[in-house]
Amino acid sequence: MFEIKRSDDGTVHLDGRFDAAQVAAAKEVFALIDDSCVVDFAGLSYISSAGLGLLFATQKRLVDREMALTLTNLNPHIREVFRIAGFDNIFTIDE
Amino acid sequence: MVVMRRGFRREIDALDEIFRFLEDFVDETAIDDRAAFTVKLVVEELFTNMVRHNTGGGDVIDLTIDRTGDEILLELIDSDVEPFDPTGVPAAPVTKEIGERRPGGLGLHIVKTMVDDLDYRYEPGTRRMRVSVTKRLEP
Repeated sequence: MFEIKRSDDGTVHLDGRFDAAQVAAAKEVFALIDDSCVVDFAGLSYISSAGLGLLFATQKRLVDREMALTLTNLNPHIREVFRIAGFDNIFTIDE
Repeated sequence: MVVMRRGFRREIDALDEIFRFLEDFVDETAIDDRAAFTVKLVVEELFTNMVRHNTGGGDVIDLTIDRTGDEILLELIDSDVEPFDPTGVPAAPVTKEIGERRPGGLGLHIVKTMVDDLDYRYEPGTRRMRVSVTKRLEP
């Protein structure tokens, strides 16, 4: 199961398992982001390179316009994957 | 020792079934959350890699997962495919800043970092490729 929604304050909430089969649904939401915002991983148990790629593409698009995503509430396993991917240089990650 | 084996449709949408299969393995072997996360990630990355790169291959990709002692062995077999060696893919430029990076290449980089051994074999006669992974469990 995977869910993605955007709340009134602009925060993107990710929930469940973000695998390669979920990228199309997530892409629709990320494509609409046109300002800096928080992505809340509190409900997310898992992410693979497919999800990382979408986050990266969104961040690159925003950074080109001097905006950015801030990531929060990553579980320790997801946090480790972000470190391995070298995403500490790419995102602000709230610890 | 626990060994589980199953064939999965060559489609990204088979991931749901694969995750259910891996959950059964996790329950059966009682491996910890970190090892379970690694197993799922490695299988997804290698499976999706085969689906995307080995176009024109057979309908089914076979997955075997085995826990013996403190080691997990994973094996994916793809048939009727051209050679594609995931161990030879250049490292992703993970230390570069965002402006110098491009998407892609992360999956295999993550797999190589998280496992203890990654092995690739190709049999030209049968056009079968086999990718094997060893992950040692932490004490």
